[in-house]
Amino acid sequence: MPRTTTLVCPGCPPLRALTFDSLGLIKGIPQVVERWGDPDSSKCVLAASIDDRKKDPLLAVARKNGEVEAVNPLNGEIHAVFSNVGEDGVQPEDDAFSGLHLFRRERPSGSCTLLTCTSKGNASMRSIQVEKSTSDSASISVTKTWKVCGSGNVLCSKVDGSENYVVFGGKGVEVNLWDLEDSTKIWTAKPPPKNSLGIFTPTWFTCTTFQSNDDHRKFVAGTNSHQVHLYDISAQRRPVLSFDFRETAIKAATEDQDGHTIYIGNGSGDLASFDMRTGKLLGCFIGKCSGSIRSIARHPELPVIASCGLDSYLRLWDIKTRQLLSAVFLKQHLTNVVFDSNIVDKEVAAQNVNEIQTTEVQTEDEMGTLPIKRKKASKETREKKKRSGESEETIVLKSKKKSRKHKREIGDDS
Amino acid sequence: MGGKRRNSERGAMEEYGDDVELDKKDKKKKMEKEKRREILPSMIKNKEKRSAVHAKLKHEKKVEKRKKLKARDAEEKRALELGEEPLPRKIPRTIENTRENDETVCKPDDEELFACNDTDEFSSIIKRERTPKILITTSRFNSTRGPAFISELLEVIPNAHYYKRGTYDLKKIVEYAKKQDFTSLIVVHTKRREPDALLIIGLPDGPTAHFKLSRLVLRKDIKNHGNPTSHEPELVLTNFTTRLGHHTGSYIFETKESKTSDSKGKKGKDGKGEKISQQKVIARLQECGPRFTLKLRSLQHGTFDTKGGEYEWVHKPEMDTSRRRFFL
Repeated sequence: MPRTTTLVCPGCPPLRALTFDSLGLIKGIPQVVERWGDPDSSKCVLAASIDDRKKDPLLAVARKNGEVEAVNPLNGEIHAVFSNVGEDGVQPEDDAFSGLHLFRRERPSGSCTLLTCTSKGNASMRSIQVEKSTSDSASISVTKTWKVCGSGNVLCSKVDGSENYVVFGGKGVEVNLWDLEDSTKIWTAKPPPKNSLGIFTPTWFTCTTFQSNDDHRKFVAGTNSHQVHLYDISAQRRPVLSFDFRETAIKAATEDQDGHTIYIGNGSGDLASFDMRTGKLLGCFIGKCSGSIRSIARHPELPVIASCGLDSYLRLWDIKTRQLLSAVFLKQHLTNVVFDSNIVDKEVAAQNVNEIQTTEVQTEDEMGTLPIKRKKASKETREKKKRSGESEETIVLKSKKKSRKHKREIGDDS
Repeated sequence: MGGKRRNSERGAMEEYGDDVELDKKDKKKKMEKEKRREILPSMIKNKEKRSAVHAKLKHEKKVEKRKKLKARDAEEKRALELGEEPLPRKIPRTIENTRENDETVCKPDDEELFACNDTDEFSSIIKRERTPKILITTSRFNSTRGPAFISELLEVIPNAHYYKRGTYDLKKIVEYAKKQDFTSLIVVHTKRREPDALLIIGLPDGPTAHFKLSRLVLRKDIKNHGNPTSHEPELVLTNFTTRLGHHTGSYIFETKESKTSDSKGKKGKDGKGEKISQQKVIARLQECGPRFTLKLRSLQHGTFDTKGGEYEWVHKPEMDTSRRRFFL
């Protein structure tokens, strides 16, 4: 059952974020913290993906016990559940999910397509058909299955903006790009050369992201040896650009809509933004963040990013000023965060009386701001005038004092 | 300087004569001057005289304080005799009881906390499903106070085993200890022949805590110390209130059943959990363990891995902006 508590986030624009933690709870923030699910460590959320379109939004969650759930992000209602346990006798502990993507392109209502990838490299496309009346009668069909790698562990995967290509990377797995249409491998990276001492750093990619939404050729990958590589598949198989960031493993990377900024989080809680055209550090996000950052999310419209991690805080940052807007303590180790971009529509759809009231209040505030501003402006001008008048007066006073002093001096002399 | 002052004074006197309104202002000025004339010990340039004046002032203060205390005690006594309620004593403000408000402090009715405790890495040890077994080792080089400290730890912590470090990698040792069913691994790090850090690794996949160790006093140097017996030590944990503190407290200490300054009853106390007050036996407490202070530097998720590890908590200098902020 969802539990709700009220929460105040000062200095934060109205938005809604969903976090997923190691006890398998889903929490919706801010204004109201809603909690869905019972605490159970076997249901630890490993990956999550959201399709936040206006009509019929959907959220997909992959858990540690091998289950994938399709959830309504408004009220936490579970639409469909399927499990990969029992297919060729793999234990979920040995072959945990490492990637999940919910396709956003045109889908008929009630159905969705999912791409899952496990750490052993088994990737599969599934389509789920959900009957609206009864949630039990969900038909799941596996459309495609393929093997990403022969050995090693896949740790990260990312689907590009057009949803035609996917990139995989991991421990012992060089980053490789796959075409989803005919599930073939298009491109593989080459390991970086040995350094001047002849030492070879083993391949261990921990996070990947595409540099921009409409270009699948450029992507960024973070490694365990605290390096960030930029790959361009049209140029060469080795990284085009590569730089170090601090001293611990890179754990999360997210792109910005502008197509060249990348946000990077690492294992000791440092968050920074980089310009990938030059590889220069734009700035760090400083705010007493002390635990490893597991996930970063960029809000689609507002200039806000959210980060979460092992210190069990959800932090919201302003992009431009790089200041902390708010931090919410959520009690558990958080594994993932996603933004729910169309919050106002959803409040109406959810028909929650309280929420509607809050929105009304907000709109009233917005209406009220304009005249107030005007008043302020007029006041300011008046004040300015006053100030100028005062200053004149003070000057007059000063001159009076001076004259007095003069008199005294004259008296002393006499 | 002096000439000027005299000049202005004369001027003031003159004005006093003819202007009534300026009267008040002058009085104020005089008061200020008197204040200025009061000699502070720091204004005296001769050191001998300065220290003498300072000592005198201090003594006066002390006497005054003693008088105050005496008066308060007398008041309390009188109130007791009359059967009245004595005035409540003032509570001194310390940095601990004025600590910054922290939202991570655990509340006793938090069901998520219990769920978290039931499922975390050391729940099996706390539930007594696994008996704790501890491996103690050192850094590569170890001498003087290091071995002495370890021998005392071995006497205090039940089921602890010391292994020579040799030239093994710490990651290899972790693997070995996992195979041998150890529940935790303690590494005592010595620098300049003095133990200065403690690394406590939970096994098989528990967190790794790195502590700074300071103010170490061995048993030999504790006045009126006792000697450890075969009893299992009892644990007293207080003030581990935040989420992080709860985590470290429960993990590091409950699993080891030892604590910083180990105290133990001499009489009639054989099992763990039996409290002295319940048994109605007068017990004398004697300190017997090594006494030291630990400061958490980092708490790492997973076993020892400095390069690719993820930290649950790292101490960063930017966090030290207030003395009233506590993390545990």
